[in-house]
Amino acid sequence: MPGPKLDRALVLHVAKLASLSLSEGEADRFAGELARIVAYVEQLDAVDTADVAPTAHVLLDRMPLRTDVLVPCLSHEDALSQAPQVEGGGFAVPTFVE
Amino acid sequence: MLDSSVISPAGPVGLGVTGIAASVRAGETSAESVTLAALEQIARYDGELNAFLEVPREGALAQARAIDARRARGEALGPLAGVPVAIKDAICVRGVVTTAASKILAGYEPPYDATVIERLRAADAVILGKTNMDEFAMGSSSENSAFGVTRNPWDRARTPGGSSSGSAAAVAARMAPCSLGSDTGGSIRQPACLTGTVGLKPTYGRVSRFGLIAFASSLDQIGPFATDVRGAARVLSVLAGHDPRDATSLAAPTEDFEAACGRSVRGLRVGVPEEYFAEGLDPEVGESVRGAIRELEAEGCVVTPVTMPHTRFAVATYYVLATAEASSNLARFDGVRYGLRSHDGDAARDLRAMYGKTRDAGFGAEVKRRILLGTFVLSAGYYDAYYRKAQKVRTLIRRDFERAFEGVDVICSPASPTPAFRLGEKVDDPLAMYLNDIYTLPASLAGVPAMSVPCAPTRAGLPVGLHIAARAMDEATMLAVASAWEARSPAASLVPPLVVPAKA
Repeated sequence: MPGPKLDRALVLHVAKLASLSLSEGEADRFAGELARIVAYVEQLDAVDTADVAPTAHVLLDRMPLRTDVLVPCLSHEDALSQAPQVEGGGFAVPTFVE
Repeated sequence: MLDSSVISPAGPVGLGVTGIAASVRAGETSAESVTLAALEQIARYDGELNAFLEVPREGALAQARAIDARRARGEALGPLAGVPVAIKDAICVRGVVTTAASKILAGYEPPYDATVIERLRAADAVILGKTNMDEFAMGSSSENSAFGVTRNPWDRARTPGGSSSGSAAAVAARMAPCSLGSDTGGSIRQPACLTGTVGLKPTYGRVSRFGLIAFASSLDQIGPFATDVRGAARVLSVLAGHDPRDATSLAAPTEDFEAACGRSVRGLRVGVPEEYFAEGLDPEVGESVRGAIRELEAEGCVVTPVTMPHTRFAVATYYVLATAEASSNLARFDGVRYGLRSHDGDAARDLRAMYGKTRDAGFGAEVKRRILLGTFVLSAGYYDAYYRKAQKVRTLIRRDFERAFEGVDVICSPASPTPAFRLGEKVDDPLAMYLNDIYTLPASLAGVPAMSVPCAPTRAGLPVGLHIAARAMDEATMLAVASAWEARSPAASLVPPLVVPAKA
């Protein structure tokens, strides 16, 4: 397992991937805490997992597919009812294309 | 009219799930009077305990009166007739503020009911209120709630556990006879253990997750807390069953789980994994749990040691997988469709800035920590080393259970390594907090049912829980063992000292 340097720069990179603006000080604090947690997680290195298949999910074999038919869903009004900003019958967001 | 204050502490609420339903169905007491009694208990204790985030009093009373009116018309009532149920705030109730104890969802009123809420209503239960929790179910103490800590009714300086903190405290303090929680790595069983209540995590897929605010989708499961095993079994029977709206819902026949309570356990094989009685276990907790296992032996169970060699890797495995799934699930909180939106600085003009600032303002420290860890273990260059590796170790943990269940019917252990710890004790050490879940995590990773049942308290009077896990889909055997132990448990009739008999 690579020993990543979980420093401020890596935390800021990951925060960007997660769309999370961190305030000053948070990045340093998280870097220290996450470095400790990741060091603990690296004990998994000691486990021999050669020829072991990963488990993404338990019991997948017992989950039936539903039939592909339309069923009632939330009304347009209900779906918009909790939005912070609504415009023209849709969710309003800041401009993202010119 | 039955004067229930004479026969049980805490008035009608103290009758428990099955007692209340029987009394309401027989017309000995009304759903309205039971609901009023629960509301009085909340008024009496919750100022100090903070188990509830929302108590829609008029709505609860209206539901109760409607049930009473149906009985008056001669209609048959459901299995939870007039039973008040407290609901973890991660579960959507139409029109009732549901926040998962996060600022990012402050004021959110779901436009729909979770499937479990529909099922409770159909069984004639009364939705009493929403309970406090660790934000997005991430935590083991309630200290991650954005709306203040919940206190343990047995000792108000201590945590009730978490993340289903309020649901456990509400039942322990007899503010409700039962409640719903959700359990991803122990969030029902650990607080049940720490509050002296019965808490049950069903087999993964047994209960619909539709309407549960998701934390880690391959692990999350809704289940009941109750004052007794039979009550928990009754609520589980109501909740369980296939739901086409949850793609992971099992197509399994529904069962009457209550039928297993009181069944003989003679000849059942109880596995005891030595790995669960190792370093870090409080000696008094170990003694109490071993005492319970000896009593099961006296009931005719055959106790055998089992080995579960990958137990010690469960915490590391869990914190990789659960945070990875959480980082994906929590991407939906972006200030667009519901909840908080930041208008700070360039958030009003720039979409990326709006996402980032909304999430920074809305999420608490532990949620951010887990989103960062989860994003990290899924990111390019680290995926195989962390995420994929943890998925493989998960397979080995599942195999530990499969092998053990070849020789035993249930696995018994402590539910938590220590009794309730003091609020503030572990709050600055995330890793120490995670290690608190060591005994509950493996069953979550394996997807098997597990529960905590009260056993002999510590000398200081703090609750201890016996953890019982069973094969996937075999809640019935687990409940039979739980009920056999409860019949002998010195803890079965204990209520916290603050719960005094209600005045008539």
